Amino acid sequence: MNKEILVIGGGIAGIQSSLDLGEMGFKVHMVERLPSIGGKMAQLDKTFPTNDCAI
Amino acid sequence: MLDVGRHPNIELMAYTHVERGEGQSGDFTVTVRRKARYVEEDRCTGCGACAEKCPTVVSDAFNEGLGTRRAIYSWFAQGIPSTHTIDPDHCRQLNGKKCGVCKKTCQADAINFDQEDRVVELHVGAIIAATGYEVFDPSIIPEYQYKEIANVVTALEFERLLSASGPTGGHLDRPSDLAIEADIEALEKKAKRSQRALDKFEEKYDEASPEFYEKYQNGEYGHDEDRKKWASKYGAHMAIAEPLEALRRRAEGFAVAKRLAFIQCVGSRDFRFYPFCSSYCCMHSIKEAIIAHEHEPETTSTIFGMDIRAVGKGFEEYKVRGGNKSAITYVRGRVAEITEAPDHNPVIWYEDTCERRVKSQEFDMVVLATACAPGKGIKELTQVLGIKINEFGFLKTNPSQPLDTTRPGIFTCGCAYGPMDIPESVAQASGAAARVAQILSEFEMRKAS
Ligand SMILES: Cc1cc2nc3c(=O)[nH]c(=O)nc-3n(C[C@H](O)[C@H](O)[C@H](O)COP(=O)(O)OP(=O)(O)OC[C@H]3O[C@@H](n4cnc5c(N)ncnc54)[C@H](O)[C@@H]3O)c2cc1C
Ligand code: SF4
Ligand code: SF4
Repeated sequence: MNKEILVIGGGIAGIQSSLDLGEMGFKVHMVERLPSIGGKMAQLDKTFPTNDCAI
Repeated sequence: MLDVGRHPNIELMAYTHVERGEGQSGDFTVTVRRKARYVEEDRCTGCGACAEKCPTVVSDAFNEGLGTRRAIYSWFAQGIPSTHTIDPDHCRQLNGKKCGVCKKTCQADAINFDQEDRVVELHVGAIIAATGYEVFDPSIIPEYQYKEIANVVTALEFERLLSASGPTGGHLDRPSDLAIEADIEALEKKAKRSQRALDKFEEKYDEASPEFYEKYQNGEYGHDEDRKKWASKYGAHMAIAEPLEALRRRAEGFAVAKRLAFIQCVGSRDFRFYPFCSSYCCMHSIKEAIIAHEHEPETTSTIFGMDIRAVGKGFEEYKVRGGNKSAITYVRGRVAEITEAPDHNPVIWYEDTCERRVKSQEFDMVVLATACAPGKGIKELTQVLGIKINEFGFLKTNPSQPLDTTRPGIFTCGCAYGPMDIPESVAQASGAAARVAQILSEFEMRKAS
């Protein structure tokens, strides 16, 4: 059994999973195919329902 | 995002592809390819000096093609990691031409044209596939003329136009106007060059080109070869300067878009494409209309849809507030066609399903609320991981274990699972993390007993 985890995709979903697992003490490898993480959310100006800035 | 880059337990591998996956729950071996950036990650400070000097201009995918970047670039300004990347398809040096300007500029000595891909083997107990979605390509709907009418844009393109860090600095400049401004810039460059050629003659003969040209045309200079050259240069210059002047006059009338239309369910709830509701697009149209109104209080928006699906905590109130405070009109109707009026104004033809009449209305810009489509590389990835997709192309799961894919030890969350907004993606992501922790601790306990 291995306590390392692979998260594929660095959008908001992959980011949240990685942070949760990292906080629990697991070693996480996050793989993102683009040059930076953020996914679609990084391209948004602000987000509903709060109109907070996306980044 | 920053927290991921900094977290001691998270190893971030961006610009990386998953190539092979073997093994089973609790013990997977996954091979990934860390693609060469031609920039050393541990040296690059992300200062951006290289991109300022790079002579090669490339369409910027982060800005949905509405702006440009250089062949050496960062995906976006606040990106994590901030390491710059050389685009091997466009870089001059990597395509055998003389350049290397970025290497000369970089003070950190980070650029390495000989860098190669690195293949890394990872040993992991569980996998989460959070590969997200793709925006539906509306150009396959002929009646909306997305490709043909410049001022018909997708909602994601509109987000970039609204963004202060986007290609227009947050101004709703119309794509048709941006195209003309780009033409003006290109013509100005050409005109400058041809003017330089004229300057030489003007100096030599101490005469302005227009006066000279008139005399030349009247035959005053006979067959003088040098003056013949001048005349031909002047003709060539005018062939640039006249259209340039016409375009400049047109550009004086340019104004930001103030009459906006949003078309819902583009590719969604449409049996030709995706029968499902993409769930977030009603809300993002309302959001975009509210922000546009904040930028420019004269802005009015009309949202055309079968119904507005504001399903979520506080969403209905958001919709009503948008109508009352942000000049949004909701029209219950199906848009049949978009045509183009003079001045590049899109015209929407629709059936008002309340009045049961066909109507049309002219706008400055039309925004298409495109469907949430399965990710482009999803098929390959499922083959590599040995998992299945459902009838629409999203990862297959089962209703009683919604975050488990068809293979034990591999989980999913977010839009890789199906259309959902950010709060839902985050909730699912925490759920998937909990599932991983659960199965790994079960292994642990079995081993101990
Ligand atoms: C115009 C528009 C506006 C929106 N506005 C809002 C809003 O205001 N509020 C809101 O809640 N929601 C909004 N949404 C929805 C929001 O974009 C999604 O809910 C959210 O981005 C889903 O996150 P995700 O991580 O699942 O997917 P994504 O953001 O798509 O991230 C997936 C990541 O995985 C990477 N990836 C894909 N395949 C691979 C692979 N094979 N290997 C490695 N990496 C891979 C991708 O490059 C990407 O970085 C909007 C959507 C659109 C289209
Ligand atoms: S490669 Fe060099 S010049 Fe370019 S961003 Fe990195 S450190 Fe700066
Ligand atoms: S959220 Fe609205 S626009 Fe999007 S598919 Fe559903 S009903 Fe159509």
